[in-house]
This record gives sequence, C-alpha cells and structure tokens, in this order.
Amino acid sequence: MTLLQAIPTTTATPVQFPTLLLSGMVWIPAIAAIALLFFPARTDQHRDRIRSFVLAAMFVVLGLGVVMWYGFRDQTGTFAYEESRGWLPGIGSSYHLGVDGVSMPLLLLSAFLFVFAGLASSRIREQSKEYFVLLLVLETGVNGVFASLDYLLFFLFWQLQAVPMFLLIARFGGPRRLHAAWKFLAVDLAGSALLLLAILILYFKSPTRTFDIVTLHDVTLPATTATMLTWLFFIPFAIKLPVFPFHNWFIDAQAQAPAPVGLILVGLTVKLGGYGIIRVDVGEFQLGFHRIVGAVIVIALLTVLWSAVAALAEGDLRRLIGYVVMSHMGLVLLAAASAAPVAVNGAVLLMVADGLTAALLVQLAAAIVERANTGSIAAMGGMAGRMSRGAALWLIAALAAIGFPGLAGFIGQLLIVIGAYPSHRIATPLAVLGIVVVAGAMIWAVQRILFGPLPERHARVRDLGTLELANGVGLVALIVLLGVLPAILMDSINFSVITLLTRLSGG
Amino acid sequence: MTLALLAAAPKGPLDTWSPTLVELFALLLPLIGLLIILAFTIDSRRLSAGIAVTFTLATVVCAVIVLAIELAHPLPGQRNGTFLQFFTGQAGAAGQFTLMWGVLLDPLASVMLLTVSLVSLLVQIYALATIRREDGPIRFFAVLLLATFAMIGVVASTNYFEMLLFFGLTTLSTYLMIGHWWQREEAAAAASRAFIVSLIGDMALLVGIAYIYFRFNELNFAVLAGQYTGGKVSANGLFAMSILVFIAAAAKSAQFPLHVWLPGTAQAPAGAAALIHSAGTALCGVYLIARAYALFHASPRGLALVAIVGGVSAVLGVVFALFQENLKRAIAYTTMGELGLMVLALGIGAFGASAFEVFTQAWPKALLFLAAGVIIRELRTERLAEMGGLWQRMRFTGWLTLIAVAAAAGIPPFSSFWSKDAILSKALAIGSTPAIIVIVGVTLIGAMALVRIFGLVFLGETARRRRFEPDRIRDAGGRAAFAMAIFAIISVVAGIRGFRGRADPIAFITFPRVPVSNSHFVAAGTIAIAAIAGAAIGWILFSRRRPVAALEPVRRVIAEGFFIERAYRLAAVGVLLPASRASSWVETRLIAGALDLLSDSVAFAGQPRRWLGDLGLRQLLIGLFAGVVALAVITMVLAGRLIGKTG
Repeated sequence: MTLLQAIPTTTATPVQFPTLLLSGMVWIPAIAAIALLFFPARTDQHRDRIRSFVLAAMFVVLGLGVVMWYGFRDQTGTFAYEESRGWLPGIGSSYHLGVDGVSMPLLLLSAFLFVFAGLASSRIREQSKEYFVLLLVLETGVNGVFASLDYLLFFLFWQLQAVPMFLLIARFGGPRRLHAAWKFLAVDLAGSALLLLAILILYFKSPTRTFDIVTLHDVTLPATTATMLTWLFFIPFAIKLPVFPFHNWFIDAQAQAPAPVGLILVGLTVKLGGYGIIRVDVGEFQLGFHRIVGAVIVIALLTVLWSAVAALAEGDLRRLIGYVVMSHMGLVLLAAASAAPVAVNGAVLLMVADGLTAALLVQLAAAIVERANTGSIAAMGGMAGRMSRGAALWLIAALAAIGFPGLAGFIGQLLIVIGAYPSHRIATPLAVLGIVVVAGAMIWAVQRILFGPLPERHARVRDLGTLELANGVGLVALIVLLGVLPAILMDSINFSVITLLTRLSGG
Repeated sequence: MTLALLAAAPKGPLDTWSPTLVELFALLLPLIGLLIILAFTIDSRRLSAGIAVTFTLATVVCAVIVLAIELAHPLPGQRNGTFLQFFTGQAGAAGQFTLMWGVLLDPLASVMLLTVSLVSLLVQIYALATIRREDGPIRFFAVLLLATFAMIGVVASTNYFEMLLFFGLTTLSTYLMIGHWWQREEAAAAASRAFIVSLIGDMALLVGIAYIYFRFNELNFAVLAGQYTGGKVSANGLFAMSILVFIAAAAKSAQFPLHVWLPGTAQAPAGAAALIHSAGTALCGVYLIARAYALFHASPRGLALVAIVGGVSAVLGVVFALFQENLKRAIAYTTMGELGLMVLALGIGAFGASAFEVFTQAWPKALLFLAAGVIIRELRTERLAEMGGLWQRMRFTGWLTLIAVAAAAGIPPFSSFWSKDAILSKALAIGSTPAIIVIVGVTLIGAMALVRIFGLVFLGETARRRRFEPDRIRDAGGRAAFAMAIFAIISVVAGIRGFRGRADPIAFITFPRVPVSNSHFVAAGTIAIAAIAGAAIGWILFSRRRPVAALEPVRRVIAEGFFIERAYRLAAVGVLLPASRASSWVETRLIAGALDLLSDSVAFAGQPRRWLGDLGLRQLLIGLFAGVVALAVITMVLAGRLIGKTG
C-alpha cells in the first residue's frame, strides 16, 4: 500500500544517510586484510586468533549491511548512501559509490555469504593467514563491484575480485586445482579486456570526458555504437554468468575450489555477471539491448537447456551443483532479456535465493564428498542412514534449488515465468522444461546419494558436526524466510527496477 | 450424517461467526502441529503422535463446524490476504502485480475439508496401533500432518497461485510418504518417479498461470469465472489454458499417460497410501478441475478432452487392476479407475455427481488400504499368490474388506452405488453413448477386480511358504480395528441421499449453468446390475484362486502396464540418455578443449606451473597485478588510438 502511494512523489526530499556506511562495507575487509599481515601464524592458537579476527571483520560488514538495509527500505528507486569524492579528476573518474534496490539485496547477500564462508573455513590449516587475507580481499572486490557507480572503479573492483579468487583456487583447491584456476583466469582476462575496451570506447565517444555511470546515462550515442557497446558489455558479463558455451570454467572452478571459496564462487561471483547485465545492459543500454534481445534469448535458452541435459549426464556431485546454478542464471538472463518489471524483479530475487541455496548445496556437497571419500554419485548411496541431519538439510537444499514452494527460489522463478511469458511465449515454456529436467536430475541425485541400502564402506560415516549443522541451519532459515516473506526484499527491489526500466537509455 | 449436521447448525449467533475464519484454523492447525513436532518433540515418539492426533482432531472439529454452517447457509465465501504485491508501472501505464493467498469456502470445499481431515485422523489412529518403533513413527506423523496441511491448502485455495503453492506441498508430502522406507531401492525409485511426474504437472500449471495472468491479469477463481466467456480470449486460447491446467490435474490424479506414479504408492506405509488414495494427492487433480470448472466449461474442447482422458484412464485402471500380482498395486489401480470415472464425470458435466463420487469412494478406498496393511503385516508378503484362506483366520478384517469391496464396487445400497448412479444419470441425460458404455464397463470390470482381490486374499487355502506359520496370524484389534470400523460404517452410509432439499449432496454441490440431472430408475438399475454382475463374474472366476486360462494370453502384456512404462523407459534410455551423453562429449571434447587451449596458453605465457610452488604469495600477487596493469595500459593505448582516429 505504502508503495503505491509513494509512486507519484518520486522526487521527495532525499533522505540524508551517513555516507561512510557503504565505504565501510567495501573497505573494512581490505583494512582487516592489511592488519592481518602483521599477525603471527605459527601455532594453532595464533591461527585461531586469525580466524576470530577475520570473522569479527566479516560480522562488522554484515552488521553494516543490515543497518543499511534497514535504513534503505523507504527508498523510491534512487541511489542511496551515495558517496562521491574527487579521485582522478584529470581523466574524469571519481570515487563514486551508491546502492539501489538492485545492488542492495546482492550486497546484503554478499555480507551474509562471506560470514558463512568464514565460518566454514575452519578446515583450512596450512597457510591459513594467506587464505584469510585473500578471502578478505575477495570480499572487498565483490562488495566494490556491487557498490561502484563509476566505470573505472567498477573495472578495478572487477579485477580485484578475480585475482584472489584465482589464487584461492590455485593454492587451496582440489586435485585438479591448477588446471581449473588457469582456466578461470584465462576466461576472466579475456572478458576483462572486452570490458575495459567497452568502458574506454564509451569514455571517448561521450562528449563529456567522464567515467561516471550516472552522468553517462544521459549521453546519446549513434545506434551502431550503442549496439556494439551493448555487445562489448554483454560478453564479459555473460561469460561470468556463465552462459553456454563459456560455462566450462565455472563448472571446473567450483568443483575444484575449497568448499568456502566454492560457496563464494557459486553464490556471488556468478551473480556479478547477472548484476552487470541488469545494471549496465538493461539499465544503461536499454535500446541497444533491445536490438540484440533475440540473440540473448537464444543464449539464455541454450544455457538453461544445456545445463539441464548436462546435469542429467553428470556423475560428479559438485559439478552437478555447477549445472544447477548455471540453469538458474540462464533464467536470470531470460528475465533480463524480457525487460519486464515483474521478470526483472524475479531475476534479482532469484539471484539472492540462488546465492543462498547454492551456498548450502556446495557446503553440504563438500561434506558428503569428504565422508564418502569420492565425488562420484554412483559410488554413494544410503548415506541417510548414517547422516540423518545431513540428509534432511540436503533434501531441503535440493528442494530449494528446484524452486519449491515455501523456499526462496519459488517466488523468483514464478515471477520470471509470469513476467517473461508475455514477451517470449515460446522461450519461456521451453525454459520451464529445462527447470523440470534439472529438478529431475536433482531428485535422482538425492535418491542415489541418500537412499537405498547402506553400503559397507559407508558404515562408519559421521553425521554433520555442530559447526556444519549451524551453518546449514542458518542458511535454511534465510531460505525459508525469503520463501515465506519475499515482500521483505521485493518492496525496494521493485522501485529500482521500475526506475531502471522506465528511463529509456542507450540511444 | 449430513442430516444430523444440519440440525446441529444453530441459526443464531453462529451466523455472525465467519466460517472462513474457522476454515483458516482448520488449515493452520496441522501446520502448527507439524512445527511443534519439528521444534520440540522430535525425539519423543509418544508426544509426537499425541500432538499429531490432537491437532488433527481439532481440525476435524473445525471442519464439522464449517460444514454445518455451510449446510445452513450454502454461500461461497472468501478471505484474502496479500502474499506479494508490487507496482509495475512502466512508462505511464500504471499496473500492479499481486499475489494473494486466502481461504475459500463453498459447499465443495466444506465437504472436501471434512473428508480430508477425517481420513487423516482415522489413519493416524490406525497408525498409533500399527506403526513400529523401527519404522520411523515420528517422521510418519510429521509427514502425515504435512500432507493434511497441503491437502487442506489445496481445498481452500482461492486462486491459481495458491493452488500451485499447495500442489507443490502435496508433491513433497507424496514423495516423503512413498519414500518412507527409503532403504528399499524400489521405494526410493518410486518416490523419485512420483516427484518428477508430479513436478511435470506443477510446471504445466506454472505455464498455465503465466498464460492466464497474461490474458486476464487475474488469478482468482471466482473473479476469473465470470471472465472466460467475455470474449477476451479466443476459443483456441481457452483450449490451450484448459490443456495446461488439465496436465497439472492429470499428473496429480493419475490420468493416462501420467498415471505411472500411482502404482508406486504401494511402497508407502498402508496408512499413508490410504490417505493418498482416498482424500490426498490423488484427489488434488479432480479438485483442481472442479475448482477451475468455469475454464473448462467455457471451452467445449477442453471439456471433451477431460471426458476422453478420464474415460481412457478409467478403463485402463480397472483392466490393469484385474491383472496385478501385488495386493497394494491392485488396490492402487482400482483407484485409477475411480479417478478416471470422476474425471469423466466432470467432463460430461456431472459436477455434483463427481464431487459426490470423491466423497463416497474415499472411505472404502482408505479401508481397503488399511486392511491391506494389516494383512501384509501378518502375512509378511504383498504377493496375492502367497495369500488366501484368511477368512477363517481374520474374520473381522474379512468382513470389513467385504464391506469395502461392496462399497467401492457400487453394489447397492453401499456408498459408491449412489454416486455411480448419479454419474450414469447424467450420461443418460445428455445421451452420450461412449460415456454410458465406459461407465457401465468400468463398473463391471471394477467390481470384478475388487472381488478378485477379496477372493485371492480370503478364500481357498493359505499358500504354504517356508518359515511361515499360518496359525500365528492375528486379526486386527484395538485402535486399528476401531479406525477401520469407523471407515466401514461411513462406507455404508456415505451414499445416503436425502432426495429433497439441501441435504442431497448432489444438489448441495452445484456449478452455475450446469443442470443437475435427477437420477432415475434406469440408471440405478443399470449400475446395480453391472456391479452385481461384475461381482458375480469375479466370484466365479477367482474364488478358486486358480489362474484363469482364458485371461493368460493378455496377462503378460497388461501386468507390465500395457507398454506404457516401457515407453517411458525407452524415452529415458533411448532419447534423454544419449542426448546427455552427446552433450557431455561436446562439453569435454569441444568446449573444454577450446577453453583449455586458451588457459594453457595463458599459463604457458609465464611458465607459472614451475614457480607457483616455489615463490611466495607476495611475488605472485605483484606479478599478477603488474600483468593486469600492463594489459590495461595496452588496451587503453590501443583503444585511444582506435577511437581517436574515428571519433
């Protein structure tokens, strides 16, 4: 109700927010990382202290995020917590941060997931200092991408999150970690080059020499240039999403990364791609995006269907999760391509929901793989007999990934299908077919992992430990909360989506 | 029973009491019970069972009150709340997207509400006596509460969105019930199959919702009812909508070809199977068609589709039932026949008669499953060939089974005779020969199949098996017997109709613009003759418990499900698996290969594999940062030149 009354008065007096909150969310992890360099890390006691310190920093960021979220709820589509300082005035770049309803939920998701990742990192024993430094730098990078309103700043944060991710996979990952890490870096560098090229072309083509996203929004470009820029921005984001056929890096990387890093990878890194598409392609180059929408729909559909078929064929548990996430991101792309308010709302919601769900899945999968001593689904079976708590959590996570009513993904998927249907009446039902197949693959996996007679070799498997259980229950609580009360996020997502979609842009 | 309720409904102050509020309590009570069990009593068997029974009993009380009020004042009522609402104004066009949830009350809902909650209560009382410690009783009661909540939610749904939500929950409860004994491979596989088939239906409903919302901007059943015929959507559009909604209904109510999950319910514990078949998941689809009846009514082709698929399913169901070797599977297939009959009835416009059939067949069907549970527990086998001769050993269960068979088969004056009579009356009234033949044929073969079950279990001599002593068989007793006896009593009386006025269940549940056809003696006589003849043939053929030579040739074909399951398997193994294999080949050879080339060249650029192990983190960081900066500078210079020339 309050939403509807607020609509005519979008030019209400802007609320004064303390501007340092956002900078705090971005830079506190980095400061903590620098401080961490001076910690000794010789004994177990030292390492425990390091971990507590890192967790404290992450909790502070989470606290800031919640406070910001609380103060943010009355916003009507404008940027909040804006902070603009001169940085490189010579080339027209400034330190410009701000959040709206699209980035705020994702920022909050990031704050939550890094806490869960920090909690899940208790297994890291060797080089734990380096590990936590990298994790904190990663958090700065991810939060920075969500918060920046300046293309140059955006690009720098984009790079900042890629480097620690590469190192974390390469140093702390599974048996084929180097292979996966290099693939990740190669694809990321290729994408970044295109992103930088796009930013520079935009910079030189605009009459005002500035990198500011908000200012550049009003620039009118010739149609061909705008279309080219749309493609140039789209490709790096889409690779990150990931889309078919550039998804292989993602499947490998998340299967090889250590569990907490895999959690960040599936929960946040791929969401950067989705965020980029919604923020830049849909928000800034709407007309250009409209011209390439046919191709985007085909890509989205291929992504959903390919991931569905590949999920059926996949015999490795952690890789299977990769395909499930990929199919959800395909849906996000479909929603973005439809550019309908309901669908884009659903896309943001689904990204948050999928972040939570995938984080839970990755953690549980790592726990199951560790106990079964193999990643192969065919070699598991009957695990529910030995780990009843783990089985219950895994079942909830699988249902959430399917988009089950009462759990987070349901409303997101529903909104995407309802919103995208009017503009894409063939693609949307086909995408739903993809959802069915992925769900089938998940249910089949549940059957093969958990049910059936207990094999001899799993007779001494332990159930989840207290910390794992607490982590899982925390995530489940968020998933259920979002599934039962999606309105807590939708109100503010919606106004920014409307603002994003109603101002025509991109010549 | 309905008459007694009518007298119990006071005309005074209760009128101001909103019946939808009571219905809301009925909806929420099982959920609250479930949450209490999960949160507090997950470790205590007794307390959990007690909480489950108490909360279900309270639900039954609410349901009785609701039905009493509805009988006194049969008016539709709704109570709506907002689930999700946001503004979708785009460039001047103000719009609003709203998802509502609420409870709906009309005669159909009130009757279903009582059926669901009472069956659930009796099944729980039965389970108190029969479920053993090692069977996971707490999980069983929790799942039963979830199923009750989901089913009442379906019944009380006011709109398609809410229906989808609770359809999902019934899918989950069915999955958990069938997979109750998850250690068995077959149970786990049957549960997965039920989930996936159900999910296909749910997703069809999702697409249907998208389509309906796109055309009407509305999802509420009552509001939509007046809009289908408004000319907003072409006949083809309405047909497409009804197909999508019908797929959802068919997946839940086991209509051909989506019936493949129903025999899998034989893997569920007897009580759970009784709930699924009598008032649970399997009835959701019929209820959805009845709820969305305005849509089908507006699309004659949609109605014809419903009738045809229903008729085919009914015939297939009873024929399959005739050839089953497994006791619970045989009963499950007779349910498929009944469900097909209900759907057929809806298709030919027998709206009230179909709802009446739902009500009358619930009790004998539940009773059959509960009796089967006792029999299987005592005999420790589910194979019909290993049974027999129980009439001397289990006289009480035998009598109850006989009542259930008679009531389900439609032998007068037991319950489902009256509803089958009403369905046939409608078919006679509209003069549809195929419908008449199907109804009579299904009644005949259905009676045969039911009598066959009775004959194979109770007549003749008990088959001898190793390590099995027939003398140790004990009849049902205590609370289990009590629950079964109640089911038997209702099976006898549920069909009684007060032919005048509101107490007639068929006149009570009506759909506007669909005339109620009065039953006449031709219909009643035909059904009675068909049912009794079928029972007699069944008795002659199967009472000696020997294979019937005439039926042997078709047995093998039909016992395997008439190639339908094989077709599914062929589709899975022959199409889906090769496709996924091909995709994984493309994935590993082509896509990964191309990416490997890229990553290998990047990796090769600095020979990093050698120094990654030796050098520390700091050098690596510096090196990478330098690389990135260099890349950035090169790109910047190149781009600057490029653009500098053109722009």
